[in-house]
Amino acid sequence: MKNIILIFTLMVFASVSTVAQTPKGDVLFKGGDVITITNGTLESTDVLVRDGKIARIGKNLKAPRGVEEIDISGKFLMPGIIDAHSHIAGSAINEGTSQVTSEVSMEDVVDPLDVSIYRALAGGVTSIHLMHGSANVIGGQNETMKLRYGTTNPDDLRFEGAPRTIKFALGENPTRGGRSRGIQPQSRMGVENMLRTSFQQALEYKKKWDAYKADKSPRKVAPEYDLRMQTLVDIMAGEVLVHCHSYRADEIYMLMKVFSDFNIPKLTFQHANEAYKVAPELAAFGASASVFADWWAYKLEVYYSTAYNAAILTENGVLTSINSDSGELIRHLFHEAAKTQKYGDLSDDEALALVTLNPAKQLGIDNRVGSIEEGKDADIAIFEGHPLSIYAIPVMTFVDGVKYFDKANDGDDQRLYVSPTSTIEEINIFDRETQHRCMEDAFVMDFNQLFSNQN
Amino acid sequence: MKKIKQISFLLLVTLMLPLLSFAQEDDQVLKARTGKFALTNAKIFTVTNGIIENGTIVINNGIIEAVGANITVPNDAEVIDVKGKEIYPGMIDGGTTLGLAEIGSISESNDFRETGQLTPQMQALTAVNPNSVAIPVTRVSGVTTVWTMPQGGTFPGTAASINLFGYTPDQMFAGSKGIIMNYPSMNSGRRWRRLSDDEMKKRQEKALKQVNDTWDKAELYAKLESAEDLRNYPEIEALVPVVKGDSPIFIEVNSAKDILSAIEWVKGRGYAKVIFTGVAEGWRVAEEIAAAGIPVITGPVQAIPTRQSDNYDAAYANPGVMSKAGVKVALRTMESENVRNLPYHAGFAASFGMGREEALKAITINAAEILGVGDQLGSIEVGKKANIFVATGDPFETATKITDLFIDGYKVPMTSRHIRLYDEFLNRTPSVDKNKKAIDIKK
Amino acid sequence: MKLFRKLSLQLVLLLSFSVITMQSQAQSDPSGDSPVTTTFALKNATVVTQPGNEIAGATIVIKNGLIQSVGKNVQIPADAEEIDASEMYIYAAFIDGMSNAGAKRPENPERPRDLFTPDPPNEYAGITPEKSVIDQLEISSNDFDGMRKAGFGLSHVVPYGRMLPGSGALVLMGSGEHIDEIVLEKDKALFAQWVGAPGAYPGNILGIMAKWRNLYRNAENRKEHVEMYAQNPSGLQRPEKDRVSEAFFPVISQQKPVMFNVDGMLDVRRAMRLQNDLGFPLIVAGVEEAWDLVEDFKNSGTPVFLSLDLPDEPKEIKEDDKTAEVEALEKRRMEFYKKHVEQYGMLANAGINFGFSTAGTRTNNILGNVRKLIENGLSEDQALAALTTNPANILGLSNRLGTLDNGKVANLIVSTDPIFNKDANIKMMFVDGKKFEYEVKAKSTNKDAQPAAEGGDILVGSWTYNLNTPGDPQSGKMVIKMENGSYSGYLTSSDGSPDNTMNNINFRNGELTFDFSIDAGGQSVLIVVEGLITGKTYEAEARVDAFNVSLELTATKDEK
Repeated sequence: MKNIILIFTLMVFASVSTVAQTPKGDVLFKGGDVITITNGTLESTDVLVRDGKIARIGKNLKAPRGVEEIDISGKFLMPGIIDAHSHIAGSAINEGTSQVTSEVSMEDVVDPLDVSIYRALAGGVTSIHLMHGSANVIGGQNETMKLRYGTTNPDDLRFEGAPRTIKFALGENPTRGGRSRGIQPQSRMGVENMLRTSFQQALEYKKKWDAYKADKSPRKVAPEYDLRMQTLVDIMAGEVLVHCHSYRADEIYMLMKVFSDFNIPKLTFQHANEAYKVAPELAAFGASASVFADWWAYKLEVYYSTAYNAAILTENGVLTSINSDSGELIRHLFHEAAKTQKYGDLSDDEALALVTLNPAKQLGIDNRVGSIEEGKDADIAIFEGHPLSIYAIPVMTFVDGVKYFDKANDGDDQRLYVSPTSTIEEINIFDRETQHRCMEDAFVMDFNQLFSNQN
Repeated sequence: MKKIKQISFLLLVTLMLPLLSFAQEDDQVLKARTGKFALTNAKIFTVTNGIIENGTIVINNGIIEAVGANITVPNDAEVIDVKGKEIYPGMIDGGTTLGLAEIGSISESNDFRETGQLTPQMQALTAVNPNSVAIPVTRVSGVTTVWTMPQGGTFPGTAASINLFGYTPDQMFAGSKGIIMNYPSMNSGRRWRRLSDDEMKKRQEKALKQVNDTWDKAELYAKLESAEDLRNYPEIEALVPVVKGDSPIFIEVNSAKDILSAIEWVKGRGYAKVIFTGVAEGWRVAEEIAAAGIPVITGPVQAIPTRQSDNYDAAYANPGVMSKAGVKVALRTMESENVRNLPYHAGFAASFGMGREEALKAITINAAEILGVGDQLGSIEVGKKANIFVATGDPFETATKITDLFIDGYKVPMTSRHIRLYDEFLNRTPSVDKNKKAIDIKK
Repeated sequence: MKLFRKLSLQLVLLLSFSVITMQSQAQSDPSGDSPVTTTFALKNATVVTQPGNEIAGATIVIKNGLIQSVGKNVQIPADAEEIDASEMYIYAAFIDGMSNAGAKRPENPERPRDLFTPDPPNEYAGITPEKSVIDQLEISSNDFDGMRKAGFGLSHVVPYGRMLPGSGALVLMGSGEHIDEIVLEKDKALFAQWVGAPGAYPGNILGIMAKWRNLYRNAENRKEHVEMYAQNPSGLQRPEKDRVSEAFFPVISQQKPVMFNVDGMLDVRRAMRLQNDLGFPLIVAGVEEAWDLVEDFKNSGTPVFLSLDLPDEPKEIKEDDKTAEVEALEKRRMEFYKKHVEQYGMLANAGINFGFSTAGTRTNNILGNVRKLIENGLSEDQALAALTTNPANILGLSNRLGTLDNGKVANLIVSTDPIFNKDANIKMMFVDGKKFEYEVKAKSTNKDAQPAAEGGDILVGSWTYNLNTPGDPQSGKMVIKMENGSYSGYLTSSDGSPDNTMNNINFRNGELTFDFSIDAGGQSVLIVVEGLITGKTYEAEARVDAFNVSLELTATKDEK
């Protein structure tokens, strides 16, 4: 399979504007239980994929000539899982030196060689939202990607046509950065002020450029170009979706007020451990939340969490997803979604929507992925056992109808690039403590930390 | 600058104190009850004696008094009809910092790490906070007992088994303790320069020499123990029960090479009770561990494989590979606030080769036996402690609900802060005031 | 202070100039260094004028720094020193695409006391495209000699620094009194790297990418403004003088390329991505992983300098470690070793006319490495082209350098054997018409020639160091080795922290300097150590510029 992908990567080096020619597959899935998300579960149903799209869903479909038929009777077919908060497959995560970095973009640092991509595929994940870190009040732009593992070209992983998104961050992380550098913000007051000031500056920036564009004089002089301000202008124009790292209810409420004042309609809160406390407000605003199933207590601002967060939000009509923020959790997001049946009795469809259709909506890609519907991309996960059961095992994962993971042929050593000099492989004993903390602010300010071996 | 930091930390802690102490309170106070209980019409998973369909359990004075299909319910017992439900022995987590850690990033609320390489006399039990918010959060998920461990250094301290109910550490103490030793690692780890095999071996040998010197001292101390004016040496004294074979030693060891080295070390020292913990790469050397007859507490199961080249499911499959090779395996989460996920770690182990029955044993009877409380906990048997829970089905499944919980014979209320917040906020009052819109999008 | 420095620099310039003029006027040559004649005739040699074109029994005449004639029947001028070159092989001297040869690493810019990390001064951010490598060059540097010995007559020398350190220059690997004498062309290419500022913006590749776009777009606008103003200033706002912007002007008008120093495959792609966004002429150099980039190079036409720094060949694994798993891993490692050494031939066969860059390669490994590439599929002609004609083409030098043709600059290699033969020794180099001779005595001479070898024994071995970090002093071993005439070493830490490789180890007259980097949350922090060795103790200052901290480092040599 690697060879096939390699052949396809022999392509013109793609620019941002050109659409990458990534492989598209044709396949007929026979006789599985099809979990559509939008139309219930269809028992013993066939799904035909042509040229990377779901062409037909129905019974007794015949494979057109040359189309591979895969018998999945007794297995479950569901839309590929979408992780709305991930930090795998990035060579850098945080430009933590400035409190506003809207000019930077994760699309510049996509790392297609990260073996975590394969491991996520082995958990039924087909798309991720590669996010900038959370050291900055206004962080960098994120990248929505499809996990087409095997290519060495970052462009092949882009979710072509996905809307631009950007990371914001409230609370402890950005204020810690301010404190360590002796600059604003050092409090939640300062965070709000920085947001309002930034948007205000962007409005002035826009005014200058609007005036320049309107100026008919042939001898006009362009104002200073500032990609940072331009991105903020784009946010206010609704062209960039904001995904905001946040925990406490008060800061969540604050951001909605700021966005309300600047007429920014779309907003997703990331982590949002206390979103449940302001669920009615989120619903009224139309903001959505992307949360953990059960992470809490790793810092003060997540101490007053409840694992029932996703259920409370869902019951209050807030569009909610469950994300990983971790190279470990991403491998079993189906299981994380299943926890909402323990914590809040969500139905099967509600629970699975948390890791499929809902994150797709939050990323603005639900017209392409997130459910099994004719015309959508054939991003598909096949499970042995119901995906909400603890005994579920993802056995095959397809992106655009192309198989990228097959448990039956799971070869050893899936690394794409191997060091030619190392004799011994690095052994890292998994430590859950480093999992959800390492990405929070990938920046050391304290000199003493440099020499310390802990954390 | 530093001073300012310290002061602000102090302030933070002082401010938090009232919050912490109020956190457990609510308008409705639910208390645990003890007495004589009869749970009837249950499907009982005894773990050690198979499954009893439609059985009864009688609990009296903290002890399981009777178990079986044809049990006469005593007249004075409170009868709880659990028809259609299943009863399991309380789950046991073989490695946590529960009770020792409250808020991860706030070091003032963490008490599982003492400074120094040689601190085996440090008692985890002492620092267990019975009022930790995480304890009720954990037990309502059916985990009734955990091994709570100190960390850091070569000899971090003495771990203890605790039941997740009680108001003092002694009330919680489940009856066993053990010395922890972090086996010197030959692992190259994250380094700027990869060390060669020889360099790593040298490092390990040096560290092992220090370890051996310590144990030599302990052996000498054991010999001289009866001498009247023997100096007070608590660090070494703490190791004496291991030397004498009275107490187990829990050796944390993870990479394959380290495990093999540790097996040799154990053979060389000849201490009677040895347990390996961690054992992340146990699957690479499962036969050797089995041959050495050393039991293992492994986990977390939901973990990233140790090496980039490893198969994606290496950590999921690890417990199964070892148990199939004949190793006695218990599981652990290595969590503090999310010990409640223990059944899911077991579920993943079950799915990836261990099988459900073995996985259940790994978090009940195997864990109890390895932790030295097998005579009291880990199965539903007459005379054992009444640490049991009632579930609507398979406790490994996330859709299953735990409905009743007994720890030490106490019927513990099924509440936690997470549940109370759910109750309060599912339908919040007041909700959004429709007339006074603070948040509005002008479309 | 700054003013004073500038002043003294001017003085030095003035002085050196007068020395030259004095020599040419009335001074004798008491040292006896100057040659009798600068006209040479190399007679009866095998001359490879360019890849694939060999003339046996030919003579080359060098005069006025140029090749006057090449061929079988050439007239030898009367003032020529005749050199019997029968049995010798003569080639055009090699051309290197990227090195720091002769450049002295400047001190890191001091961290300003009240550094506003989101917007540091350009100097600190490493944004100094207006600078030139010329200011870092030292005519007394040994690098030139080292490069000559490896066959190089010219190198594109780039400045040290961070994201935009300045422009590189084409420097003849010759000798002289003043650096200007050997600079062939300055401001050849704008040099760029993915190196962030320590603890300030841009800190890593994320910020560097964005900063690039901002700088470039503004430079474009400013260029337009400046040009408009130059045409007719009347009524037009005066464009501010902005040296950074102005440095981009020739790049924007496609007259000057940007040379990106990029080793890994992804780094190369990122440079090409930026090029694609902004449209500047791009050269990538220092490339180490190119096997997946063939089509990209072909389609974009991006000129490439591949690194001559090769990985060591994997050694046979020990018998007792030969598990099936280890064998499988070693097989993959070998597969990637092969990709590294075979990519050169593969790219050449695909029609990519790359050159080589020597940055990061020890000069005495260069010829051996080229031979290794020839063993792995690069033809001798392709190798020679990559060392001569291809870089000449890429750097716009084909009319002056790269072949042995009449009228070209007299940069020549005179070798005892065909240059890619194992036994080949360079007997003479001509650079800019100047002759440099070497004793051909196989390996032993080579070693003696290393200046560092003397007294090296003091340094080599294990030291115990103490680093006086605030609160918690650090200690460990400092282990230094000598291999192929250069030092390497690493620092261990007794608290179990990762080892740190010592870089840029320099030991001269008892003064030892080196630097090492510490990983700070994904960001690399540089620590520079400088100090004196007296007897068996080393007393030094360790500077951490990123934190404006200076620490005491002491070390004592361990007894054997």
